[in-house]
Amino acid sequence: MLPDIDLRIDNMLKALEQVVIPALPSGERLARDQVNLVIGHLRMMKDQWRFAVKFEAGSLENMMRLGDELADQVDPIYRQSLADALSVARNTDSDDQKALATAIHDLGSVIDRIILGEDGRLALAPAAFAAIIDYGHRQARRERSWFAATGLDPDRAELPTIAQTMSAAS
Amino acid sequence: MTPSGAAAPLVEIGKSDDVGAWDRGEIEPRIKTILDRTVRQRATGPYRPKSDAEVIAMLGRFFAHKGYREVAVTQVSRMSGGASKEQFAFTFRHAGDTEGERLVLRMDPLEAIAQTCRGREAEVQRLMADHLPIAPVRFHDADGDLLGQPAVILGFVAGVTEPTALRGKGVSGMGGQLGEFAAKLAPQYIHALATTHRFDVANTTFDYFSVPRANSRQAAIWQVNWWSRVWWDSLVEPVPMVTLAERWLRENAPVCDTPVLVHSDLRMGNFMFEEPSGDFTAVLDWELAHIGDLHEDLAWTTQKIFGAWRDDGVFLVSGLLPRDEFFRLYEEASGNRIDPVRLHYYEVLNAYKCAVMDLGQAMRAAKEGNNHQEVVLTWLGSAGAVFLDHIVTLIGDR
Repeated sequence: MLPDIDLRIDNMLKALEQVVIPALPSGERLARDQVNLVIGHLRMMKDQWRFAVKFEAGSLENMMRLGDELADQVDPIYRQSLADALSVARNTDSDDQKALATAIHDLGSVIDRIILGEDGRLALAPAAFAAIIDYGHRQARRERSWFAATGLDPDRAELPTIAQTMSAAS
Repeated sequence: MTPSGAAAPLVEIGKSDDVGAWDRGEIEPRIKTILDRTVRQRATGPYRPKSDAEVIAMLGRFFAHKGYREVAVTQVSRMSGGASKEQFAFTFRHAGDTEGERLVLRMDPLEAIAQTCRGREAEVQRLMADHLPIAPVRFHDADGDLLGQPAVILGFVAGVTEPTALRGKGVSGMGGQLGEFAAKLAPQYIHALATTHRFDVANTTFDYFSVPRANSRQAAIWQVNWWSRVWWDSLVEPVPMVTLAERWLRENAPVCDTPVLVHSDLRMGNFMFEEPSGDFTAVLDWELAHIGDLHEDLAWTTQKIFGAWRDDGVFLVSGLLPRDEFFRLYEEASGNRIDPVRLHYYEVLNAYKCAVMDLGQAMRAAKEGNNHQEVVLTWLGSAGAVFLDHIVTLIGDR
């Protein structure tokens, strides 16, 4: 691919840093702040783009694992909808970003219903609670690594890089 | 609407006559109005940032309606900072004041990371102006009847939110450093928190606030219902940890014996000071203020994301002082005693609130194009997993 994505991002960064920012009046603080954030987003996207589909596929895999763990714990009224959502998720094209996002949305919606338990009328089994916590820990850590470059994560120093996270998943 | 579609309150069998933990109708009335309005107006976007000329025209009409003659709005300057309101500094002159006053317009875009009420913001700032350094409220338009968008107009206050020498390290008050100013700022910060919590709620008649019942779970449930309503109304992608946190918060809601005024966002970035004295010039950003449990403020400000680390590796609450010292000095200044169980509950609630704002409301506003700086919303939204991981730690070990 010519020009490739990395080259185009590099060109955009140079234009913003060396042409646009110097042209902005110093009093235009909001505009300057926003350009700096755009630069930050672009730098982050440069590290992320090649892994984006794989990352989303990993998110769906994590959620399917949670669904599988919940399957034996849930009230019978949820069993069929959970089985259906898991089946669709398993058959989702792992190279199709949009399909992966849709599967995450649909499976996640069923899991949400299970967690709420008809607004507390149905108990959430301790094993189900533990499975959700375990999933939450796995997924949050992946996402924290994915976005560590924002500098907002106070414990980012302990996180693996995106490349390390993705190689561990493969 | 929640996934279970349970809009109607449920009656809890075998519970006391306290509020039902799952009664979604238990929400502060003015908050319900604001959230209803958010949903109603969502589809009218996208929002386009206002130009200086549009701001001049809006303010001109507003002041004329207020009865001012020979109005001149000049030196309009868009301000940076904040993740929610569109802000402009301007000079207001009229027949009775030809020299003019420098003012700040804080105006709602169509949607922001937090949907709040300018009437409440104006009211609480007016009430607290006798107690703390606060930007004076000159005007407000709670529902945008005159300006076209809800707004508050404040007197301009000079100062900085981070030392000039360290400027630019953070976004929206997060990730910043206060450096040598921390020692000067810490006592004023403790004083501001304690003074807020000592405000005489019982003998005040509010226009825009309701007071939850004492010795009841109502204070906690109002907050859970506020933020869970935001989550389900703005949902972009399901997040099981957010839903689990909601259930935990309902099933563990504590009684609040004495509701107090809670600032709700008093941390680094939301107090302004002058250099080189370090004297507070204004406590900022009262938009999330409500009457509730004092532990909510303490748990909010002790979140890691709002703090900083000293060179020796010690974590500083709000970039100011170590956690234990913060609690000790707060108890001394306020006379309040900190209950570890309630503190823990509000740590979970605050992490939940932050996750809802970052992964729910901010993402929806950005997706709809209903804000004036979506690039900030998606930047802040990327911190959502930090709060999810914090929830895991807080409720996973119990």
